Amino acid sequence: MGVAQGPLLTMHGISKRFGAVEALTDVDLEVHAHEVVALIGDNAAGKSTLAKIVAGALTPDSGLIEINGEAVTIPTPAAAYNLGIATVFQDFALCENLDVTANLFLGREMHGALRRSDEEMERITREVLDRLASRIPSARTPLGSLSAGQRQSVAIARTLIGSPRIVVLDEPTASLSVGQTAEVLTHIERLREMGLGIILISHNMTDVRAVSDRIEVLRLGRNNGSFVTQHASYEEIIAAITGAPRADALRHPTGATLSAVS
Amino acid sequence: MKAIRQIFGGNLRQYGMSFALILLLIFFQWRTHGIMLTATNAQNILNGYSYVLILAIGMLFVIITGQIDLAPGSVAAVVGICVALSIKNWGFPWWAGVLFGLLVGIAIGAWQGAWLAFVGVPGFITTLAGQMLFRGLDQYIGKAASVPVPKEIRYIGNGYLPEWGPNTGLNNSTLLLGVLALVAIVALEIRRRARTLKAHGTAVPLWAMVARLAVMTVALGYLTYLFGSGRYGTSFPVTGVILVVLVLIYNFIATRTTIGRGVYAVGGNRAAAALTGINTKKVYFLAMANMSFLAAVAAIMYVGRSTATGPSDGVGWELDAIAAVFIGGAAVSGGVGTVIGSLIGGLVMAILNNGMYLVGVGADLSQMIRGLVLLVAVAFDLYNKTQGRPSITGTLLRGLHIRERGEATGMERPRAGVAQS
Repeated sequence: MGVAQGPLLTMHGISKRFGAVEALTDVDLEVHAHEVVALIGDNAAGKSTLAKIVAGALTPDSGLIEINGEAVTIPTPAAAYNLGIATVFQDFALCENLDVTANLFLGREMHGALRRSDEEMERITREVLDRLASRIPSARTPLGSLSAGQRQSVAIARTLIGSPRIVVLDEPTASLSVGQTAEVLTHIERLREMGLGIILISHNMTDVRAVSDRIEVLRLGRNNGSFVTQHASYEEIIAAITGAPRADALRHPTGATLSAVS
Repeated sequence: MKAIRQIFGGNLRQYGMSFALILLLIFFQWRTHGIMLTATNAQNILNGYSYVLILAIGMLFVIITGQIDLAPGSVAAVVGICVALSIKNWGFPWWAGVLFGLLVGIAIGAWQGAWLAFVGVPGFITTLAGQMLFRGLDQYIGKAASVPVPKEIRYIGNGYLPEWGPNTGLNNSTLLLGVLALVAIVALEIRRRARTLKAHGTAVPLWAMVARLAVMTVALGYLTYLFGSGRYGTSFPVTGVILVVLVLIYNFIATRTTIGRGVYAVGGNRAAAALTGINTKKVYFLAMANMSFLAAVAAIMYVGRSTATGPSDGVGWELDAIAAVFIGGAAVSGGVGTVIGSLIGGLVMAILNNGMYLVGVGADLSQMIRGLVLLVAVAFDLYNKTQGRPSITGTLLRGLHIRERGEATGMERPRAGVAQS
């Protein structure tokens, strides 16, 4: 797994309430460089809430976030970007009326005194698409004429603008065909090869088992099991997701992380 | 066909619209037995319609953000009366009156922008209220009377560039403008080619660039002749100069700046734009404020041309501007549209209007025809979009579109083989 140094991202004791609803209770999460951590769980388990906290779209009520061992706060998406955290939100946050290059750099265009540096941005776009081995015909293609899978490629390529260390992917393969899903999974492997830490949120057990190094299960806003992907059985993971007795037996009374496979 | 594409490159839709415009000009030139394309008529068209084209530029940005502005006519009326009264009654020099008028326009724009951006009242409602509010304000301030403006303001709305220098048979100011424009176009074209070469390693062949420049030179030469050959003392009109300057500035903003990109992004997908960190409120605010600023510019030109303000100044302007923008290819849902397209859309309407007037078509029939043109142009566009086909003019040039795709793919440099991990 290549865990040479300390974790890239450490989240400890994260809690978040929405009114009377406890979305997250005392959740822990660690992500290392060169690692894909899958965050799975049933609907309303708190996966997306946790992702949004990392992305700066939500702030936790309590808990500690460290990046490379330094305590940080992530109040806004811009703060997340500056900390090297890039996020692909669930429904592609892209503009169909703009081309691939424009979407990659949206909100952080490179520019000179007056004019945008379109040529430079286009050059970087082609580089990034190459690195991802993406099958997008041209950096100038309008997004509206790309398939859903290609758009997801663009969304992932977008995370590589700047110098990200952590990439959060919220359901990147939902609503994609089999072939498109395979392409997105290849992109995720590329991100890992580049030495990034990746948080992959997914419903799809096949995808998770194909690409992740570790699996963290959330259930009702709490940690409910932590697995090394290659050693974890399908049944164990499902049990942790659904809260079947077998996973319950392993759960620590305080709800802190317990490795099902140590 | 490929040769044509290489010469004109870029936006075929706009090229096609210009083509439609030229057809229209030729048609009316024929029907009016040559009156359409005379210096006097060309000057009249610019003096009579520049203000609508300027409103269309402002309206374009509002429409790209997915909003609409129904108030610029009323805003223009308020600005007109403020300019006229400040000069006539408060003793402002003419330039201070102009400045005051522009400031009033910006202030009203800020008011409307604030309701849209910060309170969240939809632009349609904000500006419908503004239409009533400012129409009433105009009549309240002006007491529904007509207030004359001084000759400097008249010059802005109806003036010509000076005559000077040797007798060239043309107005020398117009000739100079034509030469300067030609030099600028050649310089920009060469620089653009150098940039493309640097970025891609390839560019359109040299002969294509030369052919393109030749076509532009002929067009520019003709326009210089058309506007410069009128009776002594006339030239390319001042209104035209203001229009061209604004078109250049706003086209640059729309296509080459970060804020312009933000406008398109907000119109394309507001939620996504916000997630990427674009300040959507700022975009809405600026689009609205800018519309009223341009309405102020238009107002000053208009009162200058009509030599006085009146209670019905600006009535219905917003509709002309909106029509120009949509004929020019903007999308009703926002996110799509160009400055040049809106300019051409506005010119199509202006030439239809002028041509039908010259031919002797009554105002009733003329209005009906323009209404149908707007309807058919937008319907045809929408139909083609739902069919996934190119737009109205794209259809004329469909062969070129296929070529365009092929080239876009072909131009990409070959990728490194997809290494499997």
